[in-house]
Amino acid sequence: MSQNDDHKPDDIALIGEYALHLLDADERRVVDQRLLAEPALRALLRDWDEGFVPLADEFDEVAPPSTLKAQIEAQLFADTKLASLWSRLFAWNAAWVAVAAVVVAFVGVQLFTDTNAPTYVAEIVAEDRGLVVQARFDPKTANLDISRVIGSISSGRSHELWLIIPESKAVVSLGVMPVTQQGVMVVPKQYRAQMIGGTLAISDEPLGGSPTGVATGAILAIGGVVLL
Amino acid sequence: MTSVSDIENMIVRTGIGDRKAFSLLYVATSSKLFGVCLRVLNNRAEAEDALQDVYVKIWQKADRYSANGYSPMTWLITIARNQAIDRLRARKAPVKNIDDVVDLADSGPTPETAAIQRSERAQIDGCLNELDVVHADAVRGAYLNGDSYQELADSAGVPINTMRTWLRRSLGKLKECLGR
Repeated sequence: MSQNDDHKPDDIALIGEYALHLLDADERRVVDQRLLAEPALRALLRDWDEGFVPLADEFDEVAPPSTLKAQIEAQLFADTKLASLWSRLFAWNAAWVAVAAVVVAFVGVQLFTDTNAPTYVAEIVAEDRGLVVQARFDPKTANLDISRVIGSISSGRSHELWLIIPESKAVVSLGVMPVTQQGVMVVPKQYRAQMIGGTLAISDEPLGGSPTGVATGAILAIGGVVLL
Repeated sequence: MTSVSDIENMIVRTGIGDRKAFSLLYVATSSKLFGVCLRVLNNRAEAEDALQDVYVKIWQKADRYSANGYSPMTWLITIARNQAIDRLRARKAPVKNIDDVVDLADSGPTPETAAIQRSERAQIDGCLNELDVVHADAVRGAYLNGDSYQELADSAGVPINTMRTWLRRSLGKLKECLGR
């Protein structure tokens, strides 16, 4: 328990009211804002919540309907296959939920017309199509032509491209994406074979890319690599 | 019976996207949290909707659990209670469905947990007993039923501002007592 003299008496009562859920919506929002900014207030709220919680033994346990669990999981994990992959790869980042429902869609890429050799393409798209990047991979040169047809990179941020290798479910960085709408990336030698059948993903990262070697920001868009 | 540290572990693992842990957490805690929603909302269909929202929130917020210093059941019950009361406040007209029959789940705390709970319960009860009985009832009504200031004032037959003054003063005393 924090000592009362750590806090203003008004705050003690205010946060007690907040914990009891007695404040109206506007008052509650004001406290929410303060809680974000004031660790001491968060500690006070925790003390109140812990102080009141013994009363909760009066809430009788009641088994919910057996179907409810499946409904919750369906809501959270809509696209099971993709979501399980993402939860593994970006486990610390709840942002994957937002893109879990992305359809890995391949659309004819008129942009790339030179098809005298096997060429692989991917359309890396955001769920709302606010970001669409077309990529074309030439296994001979290992060049990955990048064309950002929709969307932009936030100022002071970078987009980083990731390859998800289906067999091992490993996720590897292919590097920071070009800041220009068109550009070329070179796929590192050790990943060239894995490009085929792999999945590409773009994450939002600090300028220059993830400092940790794993995606740290939101997953913006994903798409599978398919034979053109 | 699942121990407190088991539940803590499930929350932490849920926070790193472990669905199996989330599933176990649901099995271990959904009866208690459904009980919270039912008590506050007093309507089975609404309580089911609320419980669904509660577990979505738990899934989304579990990655921040470790940093906040809550004991696991407090954290879960607080989320459930707030969610249920949010839903209660959003109602246009009050629904009181006393006839809803509920099945009590056959599970309870272990003797050790029960002993700890008894001593903590004794503390809050002791502190509430130091308050004027009308004020203590208001605190209980707010916590257990999600009563609003208006409802508390109506129950006590006083103006809302009087209730607010009483309750804020009571909270000051209560905090002082709980901190002893």
